Amino acid sequence: MSILMPEFDKAVMARRGDIVTALRAIVPGEGVICESRELVPYETDGLTAYRQPPLVVVLPETTAQVAAVLRYCHDNGIKVVPRGAGTSLSGGALPLGDGVLLGLGKFKRIRDIDFDNRVVVTEPGVTNLAISQAVAHAGFYYAPDPSSQIACTIGGNVAENAGGVHCLKYGVTSNNVLGCEIVLMNGEIVRIGGKGCEQPGYDLLGVVNGSEGLLGVITEITVRILQKPATARALMVGFASVEAAGACVAEVIGGGIIPGGMEMMDRLAIHAAEAFVHAGYPLDVEALLLVELDGPVAEVDALIGRVEAIARGCGATTVQVSHSEEERLLFWAGRKAAFPAVGRISPDYLCMDGTIPRGKLPEALARIRELSVKYGLQVANVFHAGDGNLHPLILYDANVPGEMDRAEACGADILRACVDLGGVLTGEHGVGIEKRDLMPTMFSEIDLKQQQRLKCAFDSGGLLNPGKVFPTLHCCAELGYMHVHGGKLAFPDLPRF
Amino acid sequence: MMDLDILKVRDASDVEDAVRAALAAGRPLEIVGHGSKRVLGRPVDAAAVLDLSALAAVTLYEPHELVLTVAAGAALTDVVTLLADHGQQLAFEPMDVRPLLGGEDAGTIGGMLGAALSGPRRIKAGGARDHFLGFSAVSGFGETFKAGGRVVKNVTGYDLCKLMAGSWGTLAVMTEVTLKVLPKAEAETTLMLRGLDAATANRAMTAALGSPHDVSGAAHLPASGLRGPCAGLAAGAATTLVRVEGIDVSVADRVAALRRELAGFGAVEAIEGEPSKAAWQAIRDVVPFAAGGALGAWPVWRIVCPPARGCALGEELARESGGEAVYDCGGGLIWLALPPLPDAGAALVHARAGAAGGHAMLFRAAAPLRASVAVFPPLASGLAALNRRVKVGFDPHDLFNRGRLHAMTEAS
Repeated sequence: MSILMPEFDKAVMARRGDIVTALRAIVPGEGVICESRELVPYETDGLTAYRQPPLVVVLPETTAQVAAVLRYCHDNGIKVVPRGAGTSLSGGALPLGDGVLLGLGKFKRIRDIDFDNRVVVTEPGVTNLAISQAVAHAGFYYAPDPSSQIACTIGGNVAENAGGVHCLKYGVTSNNVLGCEIVLMNGEIVRIGGKGCEQPGYDLLGVVNGSEGLLGVITEITVRILQKPATARALMVGFASVEAAGACVAEVIGGGIIPGGMEMMDRLAIHAAEAFVHAGYPLDVEALLLVELDGPVAEVDALIGRVEAIARGCGATTVQVSHSEEERLLFWAGRKAAFPAVGRISPDYLCMDGTIPRGKLPEALARIRELSVKYGLQVANVFHAGDGNLHPLILYDANVPGEMDRAEACGADILRACVDLGGVLTGEHGVGIEKRDLMPTMFSEIDLKQQQRLKCAFDSGGLLNPGKVFPTLHCCAELGYMHVHGGKLAFPDLPRF
Repeated sequence: MMDLDILKVRDASDVEDAVRAALAAGRPLEIVGHGSKRVLGRPVDAAAVLDLSALAAVTLYEPHELVLTVAAGAALTDVVTLLADHGQQLAFEPMDVRPLLGGEDAGTIGGMLGAALSGPRRIKAGGARDHFLGFSAVSGFGETFKAGGRVVKNVTGYDLCKLMAGSWGTLAVMTEVTLKVLPKAEAETTLMLRGLDAATANRAMTAALGSPHDVSGAAHLPASGLRGPCAGLAAGAATTLVRVEGIDVSVADRVAALRRELAGFGAVEAIEGEPSKAAWQAIRDVVPFAAGGALGAWPVWRIVCPPARGCALGEELARESGGEAVYDCGGGLIWLALPPLPDAGAALVHARAGAAGGHAMLFRAAAPLRASVAVFPPLASGLAALNRRVKVGFDPHDLFNRGRLHAMTEAS
């Protein structure tokens, strides 16, 4: 529990009764939750090591209510934390004891399915998978597929710029979102983009994606949908060394093949997954590569052959090709169950999320092995190998005093190694609170100040989700950010925009 | 734009010095690479030109990693050639503005990103923004900062690359950029339908794009829009084009399937290889409205809208103004050439584009016209205010490309 959150504002906490009354005037009925027993489900997200009950939970049902809640909080200096399904793995939705938790769970309606323009307009509380299900009858789907897709909401996907197995070929969330409606902290409602492929003005959609709930509350999203590929087949390839598996990944991509998915697991992860789901994984290999090709039948058949040849050329010890949908799904079953499988062999684990240049995979694994020895903790490795996104799972037991701290320290060192190898702290899980204090490993003080000036343009009071992403909170004036009022800067002697 | 000082910088540290000096003196800068796009946007109000053309080095190119880092002043043509030598490309097909604008130079990578002009493959591969992984730049605070990285999967901090793409040099001076590159397709075939009216052509493109055949280009050139030679495309009849790319066997497979699906729209012809490439290059670069062609003197608008409505919107605008329209991106991108009008048709085009859920930019017009009409679309008041606040967060003293996006009166 080494992450410090901003000190609670006692004066705000003392006004709790008034705040509840004011919120009830905006969201009538059961939309305001303040009984401590009922706050429990909201006190954490997917990063369960951190818990904090919010001051109060509000569950608005309309954009107008969201705007009114934010305006009230803005005018009264009350912090707000937005929340979708609460599946964030980085603590992005961790509540604040002096803040309102604003849940979007009631925004559950798909507003428009437009097959001619190949878009779906949806409310943010709809799950990722529900979008694909709503268009499946016409052969369409929504491509980004984070592994929590049955539970996670599209609003949270936008906030975190979620990825998934298939983003190697089809892009992450931000590549698949065309428009949104957001409510700013001051209650202003702004529409960005729409059904066209570009938006007028600055590409604000690009920064709202992945803004981790710090810029605005998303109340509507327009996503692009695609026709489902005609077929998909997978190869399961075993290697005697991670170096050989890493070389195979580089050869496939370098050979001009962009698979639908390309995943790697190391020995510990393979054994845990096989014991859990019996997918038929070879147990005498150091690394297992799953490569999925999707598209027209003729293309997939041809590329399966090419990838198989590359794999054998890289010294694969076993190569299996799926010949049926059942077989393909079985190959994936182990990978998809890798996290719970590791959960069976260890009381607790921490899931990290660094990205490295693909070619550095063997070096990254060697460093992780060293750190595993140094901290005396086992690490199982599961990667989105095609895009160099690592998910080392650090095994620990929270009941052993000091072990969680050691696991966190080990995780931090792994992420530092990723940055050192030319990579980044987080590929798809977000910074949240988990990686907040590591931001200076990747960014200078100036880099971080510039990012925070963008925040000032959206939320000049710093009331929306404070304590996340940025290790040091600056007020906007400190950052040199100048207040704009009615389109004019506060300083009349300065040049105008 | 007369007698401007030219500040020719040698490296990124020179850029920071120049910006700090400009900041101290209150002298706004025009940010220029090769100057190929100086005639885009409103004329800039600057005291000096910051010339980045000497920042041309390729810092890192790892074909196996699909990543390229170059200085912002690197020539687009040099980079395209370098990638082609390795069988790779910028998959978003950046537009070469020379045919349409009549210039001599295709510009720099920094300019390409600042303008974010993506080509026909945008419908499949995304735009410039989607391939932009990281950068270093100098802000209007006179500070050098970086954002992003060199890997594709990255959510560490705000995605400022997207913000810089299409910002027309008004937020910060980029000095070095990192891009995702992709392999070129091994084969391509373009299917063509002749003589369709615009509404039918839009339906044909929608059918192709709504199929599982992974179409990478969908364009429609009405007969009247083709008044001169255009990459071997026959004049005299409207042409609707649908492109498929990939490995041979896959292209053949999908072409066969698409032929069946498009059969209801008329006889389907096919071109492959070089003729196909030439056709899409002409569409990308809007050769039908080329500066040296029959419509070279007409102002040209670039309109983005929901694709299924594109041809209806373009036809309506062409009919009311006596102009011509050609369509890319399945109808989602309209190039509209208008006969000379006092306001270049700005009131009409902005109103109609906005009503159709789209937006328009006056792309080609003489400087006095670009100074007097709304080149970029007027934004809703909340969005406009947010845009201004973002600008202030990067360039509070309006040092960079002042006035390029909006006239002062519009901003206040």
